Amino acid sequence: MSASATAAPAPPKVLRVPEHTVEIVSDSGEGAQKCGQIFAAVSAKMGNGVWTVELIPAEIQPPPRVPEGASGNRIRVGENAVTNWGDRTDLVIAFNEQVLLARHRVDALADDALLLIEDKWARSEDPDIVAQWEAALKELSSKHYRIIPVAMEDECLTIVDNPRKGKNMFALGMLARIYGRDMELIKAQIAYAFRKKSEEVYTQNVALLELGFHWAEDNIDIRVEIPTHASDKPLVVMNGNEAIAMGSIASGMELCAMYPITPATSVSHLLSEVFERFGGIVHQAEDEIAAVGVAIGASYAGKVAFTITSGPGMALKTEFLGLAVMTETPLVLVNVQRGGPSTGLPTKVEQSDMLAALYGQTGDSPHIVMAPATIEECFHIMITARRLAETFRTLVMVLSDANLATGVSPYPTPTLDEAWQAAPLDLAPVKEGQKAYGWNKETGLSERIIPGRPGGMFTLTGLAHDDRSKVAYSSDIHQHSSAMRSRKMAVLQSLLVPPTVYGDASGDLLVVGWGSTKGAIEEAVDRARKEGLKVSSLHLRFLSPLEPGLKDIFKRFKKVMTVEINYSDEPDDPYITEENRRRGQLSILLRNATLVDVDCWGRVPGEPLRPMSIVEAIRGRVPRGGAK
Amino acid sequence: MPSDPRVAQALSALAQPIAEFRAAVQGALAQADAFMAAQTADAATLASHAAAQLGVFAKSHVDPAKFAAMFPTVATADKESQKALEKAATILRRVAAQGEDMALATVSDGRKLGATIDTALAGAGQAFGAIIITELVRGSRYKKAEHEKLLDPTEFRAWNNAERRFAPPLVVVVNGADLHAGALLDFADGREKIVLVVEGAAPPAALVRCITPGTFVLQTVDGTGLDRLAGYEGPAIAALLPEGAATFMHDPTAGKEPWQRLTVPFLPSAPFKAVGGFSAWQMEQDVKMLADLARTPFAVPAAPGAKGAPALGAGEAVDRIASWLLETSGIKGTA
Amino acid sequence: MSYTCGMLPVLDQHEDHHYEMSEYEGAKARWCPGCGDHSILTAVQRLLAAEQLAPEQTMMVSGIGCSSRLPHYMKTYGFHGLHGRALPVATGIKLHRPELTVFVTMGDGDCTSIGAGHWVHAMRYNVDMTAMLLDNGIYGLTKMQTSPTTPQGFKSNTQPFGTLLPPLNPLEIALGVTNASFVAQTAEWAPSHLYATLRAAYKHKGFSFVRILQRCPVFTPAIYQKAVQDPARIQLLVHDDGVVTPDLEKIYKSQLHHDPRDLAAARSLAEQTETIKLGVFYKNPSKPRYEESRRVAPRTPAERIALLEKEFARYAV
Repeated sequence: MSASATAAPAPPKVLRVPEHTVEIVSDSGEGAQKCGQIFAAVSAKMGNGVWTVELIPAEIQPPPRVPEGASGNRIRVGENAVTNWGDRTDLVIAFNEQVLLARHRVDALADDALLLIEDKWARSEDPDIVAQWEAALKELSSKHYRIIPVAMEDECLTIVDNPRKGKNMFALGMLARIYGRDMELIKAQIAYAFRKKSEEVYTQNVALLELGFHWAEDNIDIRVEIPTHASDKPLVVMNGNEAIAMGSIASGMELCAMYPITPATSVSHLLSEVFERFGGIVHQAEDEIAAVGVAIGASYAGKVAFTITSGPGMALKTEFLGLAVMTETPLVLVNVQRGGPSTGLPTKVEQSDMLAALYGQTGDSPHIVMAPATIEECFHIMITARRLAETFRTLVMVLSDANLATGVSPYPTPTLDEAWQAAPLDLAPVKEGQKAYGWNKETGLSERIIPGRPGGMFTLTGLAHDDRSKVAYSSDIHQHSSAMRSRKMAVLQSLLVPPTVYGDASGDLLVVGWGSTKGAIEEAVDRARKEGLKVSSLHLRFLSPLEPGLKDIFKRFKKVMTVEINYSDEPDDPYITEENRRRGQLSILLRNATLVDVDCWGRVPGEPLRPMSIVEAIRGRVPRGGAK
Repeated sequence: MPSDPRVAQALSALAQPIAEFRAAVQGALAQADAFMAAQTADAATLASHAAAQLGVFAKSHVDPAKFAAMFPTVATADKESQKALEKAATILRRVAAQGEDMALATVSDGRKLGATIDTALAGAGQAFGAIIITELVRGSRYKKAEHEKLLDPTEFRAWNNAERRFAPPLVVVVNGADLHAGALLDFADGREKIVLVVEGAAPPAALVRCITPGTFVLQTVDGTGLDRLAGYEGPAIAALLPEGAATFMHDPTAGKEPWQRLTVPFLPSAPFKAVGGFSAWQMEQDVKMLADLARTPFAVPAAPGAKGAPALGAGEAVDRIASWLLETSGIKGTA
Repeated sequence: MSYTCGMLPVLDQHEDHHYEMSEYEGAKARWCPGCGDHSILTAVQRLLAAEQLAPEQTMMVSGIGCSSRLPHYMKTYGFHGLHGRALPVATGIKLHRPELTVFVTMGDGDCTSIGAGHWVHAMRYNVDMTAMLLDNGIYGLTKMQTSPTTPQGFKSNTQPFGTLLPPLNPLEIALGVTNASFVAQTAEWAPSHLYATLRAAYKHKGFSFVRILQRCPVFTPAIYQKAVQDPARIQLLVHDDGVVTPDLEKIYKSQLHHDPRDLAAARSLAEQTETIKLGVFYKNPSKPRYEESRRVAPRTPAERIALLEKEFARYAV
């Protein structure tokens, strides 16, 4: 028995904090994620803000007890809404010391973190394992962690035969005690999580839960109290991919064509389960190209369809995306970005597909690109995307990323509206003289003709064509039709409203971001402002066309800098000059559009940005006393 | 009525075509409503519609008033057209409100099977008219003199080919004594699907009278085969009968010869006593006809349970049923 | 999801209109004089007229290449898309709008080279459409490059010392795909056979794959010439359930009674290339069709919203 387990119960020390970050890590298959999910869900139900991130190993079944196999959840729990995964973890439950090392090595843990480790490895009969344990503890001693060994397996074996199957509930029990979580809510959540299993499974899990709870009561001398504020609005909790799936249903789209690719695929998992009940289907195509081809075919023939993919898949779809733009066939493409280039970091976040999304098609290929900034926006953006694809007759790309895809956080239950959905197909005979592309010469807008409409027969073609979709053999037609397709972007921009600045409308530094970094950036801005820095931020949702009024907003700040999860050279790196510096993708876009000298700061660590690292970047750009 | 679980069984077998018809009605209704609303809407209303359609994400990013002005939704309609559209919408709303009941009819005492179906389908015919009126008005092509009559109920015999192709399916609850199957052939056209839920004593093989080379005909006591109905491209007639009735399936896609198309898992002997207006002799004729049709022209044994009927070549059987049908059901050309 | 789509326009047709063949004619065909594609275009127009298909309910989908210009020369709806990608587009159209009649034209490069993956999977999906492979054994539009079906030894611009490999046999591949339901071969120089085969393909419910042997008058005028000149080099596969062309019986005396339900015999026939076999190799209408298994009951906006409310309840905090 470990020392702590035999210690006499003393009145626990109560830590009252506005937020705390917890991790449960294990080898994959040991159920740490289920433990984390239930803990997060119950915390949200109790009225805490919650942001959960899945810790995913890149392999399905990595060997046991290796740092690369670390699997689990990181849950940031706060008094108020939590918008990002935060900085470092305050408390960890680890099922072995190797997965804990993985977290230590990526600097995920706070210096004074409390670590609860399964300690059976210290008593292993295998001398190698004991040696690994001792080496790991030595490595961990470089920080001021507080380590509490827990004989989780021995405890669990008093109830179950296979300890691999029960530790997660024991761990959940410990967390419930430490964080004062409502046990009845947890039991209800367990019942739901195991609803497809037998009653016996539930009973056993509850027994393990209570065992962990009482063990912690007797042996752990710390309690963490995070004030809760019950929400007056109903909330739902889900990840960004689930939100995208729900949003696509709400938008009235009826066909999703896809090919499996991480981290986008889970959108189709949810959809495949429920879509048919909503009159829709998920078509898993033979490859990425076929997926977009099927979506374009369906879209051309009727209601706007969509395809979901990630970077490498979007690259494969490129030729078809050009066709959608050229033929003005509405289409929604969701790219859940991962690390690149090439296969890159399949399970990890990056925002490096922006330029590929904007400019990756051959020829001139103007289209709409939007990015949701929160999980809630992942839901709502699908409705807007479908509507814009339909009205502007073009491709709409939605750029999400692995941070949103795997982050789980509550948001207000949407008030659903029938108006979000596509109108029934209009199959009335076409009007006299109506053309396949009846471009309004001012706006480039035109009304689409779909097959089935009497009198409208024409052949859609990816070749340069005139307004009747006849292949263009004269020189001025391509100039004109290119202008018409391009004009639509300017027209959409004229309908957009300038973005709102977060913080003061003027100051020393404006941080500009896009996509999933909004929460981390705004938290960093808040902290920097508390330090007295005159910093504000701006978060863009529309990348093509860009939101209007940027130049005027930028003028009111001494310096403008983008913060992005994509690679950029640091100005003081070797060989880097003002001329050859490779910049963050958004900054390239903004410099082009505004002629403002927009600076950038980016990191590609394969994890979401930490607010603290952004604060440091801000400090680096705005020395105390203000920018020059 | 819904107390009979077989009604639910019949409705669920037709769920797909029922849903499709209902969606067509709802779709036209939505378009009619939107068109009428837009006729009187002011700029603020149009902006709020645009905002609703653009969704919550667009709320602080897209100017709905400008958007509404950029995408004017509908043309303006004259008074006559508006009136017609209102009437069409009323019809569509009524049909839509019926829910699943729009596909359900009961042969009440003193009425005939054929007349009941006719009345039920006339309501649907009116919905077709309403859908067309909606399209005409939206496309500014409505002319009162020419189109007004479209809103009257139309009996099946007046439907055009297209309407028959999209005929809504129907479940009819009928007493065995009223099972005058010959009347059903009036409706065997296009893609019409009819499922009879037969209550009480019934003639054992009445639906044999519905067999034509292109009509899917099914008699079942437990629902076997009903799942095939919705997918069949042509007309289909099925009956859920009480225990003891003949069971058979005539599937036009199964072959060119009657015996290839027809499977008869159970063939009873005809009852000795009359059922309703059906004499024992009439019912025996049905049973024999079924046995004849199912018999292979070569030495394959006849359907199990078949007795009494003399061996017949397939061609002979076809001739016989053709002349018999003409005699007994008094059908006229329907297409 | 399709009912609304199909219903409104056809309901509006009060009178039954009879379509003349000329009503299916689009722009004037710009293929080279003597190109086999002209004959195929005529056969397709004849078929549409015979079947009285409403032009607005008919889709011609194609890829890129000479053959893929066909939609432009029809007065139906057409989708002239990307090289090799006609089949995914056609699949998408049919999944969303099953009431439309879909024809696909592809060349040999289109279908058997750059689009080969889609071809195999489209055969397996068995979505109801008529897919025509216009096989002239060469890349024509890009000026005489070797295609997978170019005869071995044929001198092309990319293999100027003679095409290196034996040609790919599209029939063998088609007949090897699980769930393939209709495989036929015909030739552009036998118009009545071409027409009868296309008609059988159109009538078949499922994915009908028709390889049409076709001469390119500029680059491959000779590849089928022996067979064109010597009818003995052609064998007709005849069957009541396949294609019967009585007018050709005097020309093509070599005939084989082949039951298209017999897959093993079909595969064996496909391997025998000493004579060119025209007819239906395989036909099985009972194979599952993907679009049928994906048919879903349409939902009205109100129903969808009500269901979505319930779905959200699963995620309620």
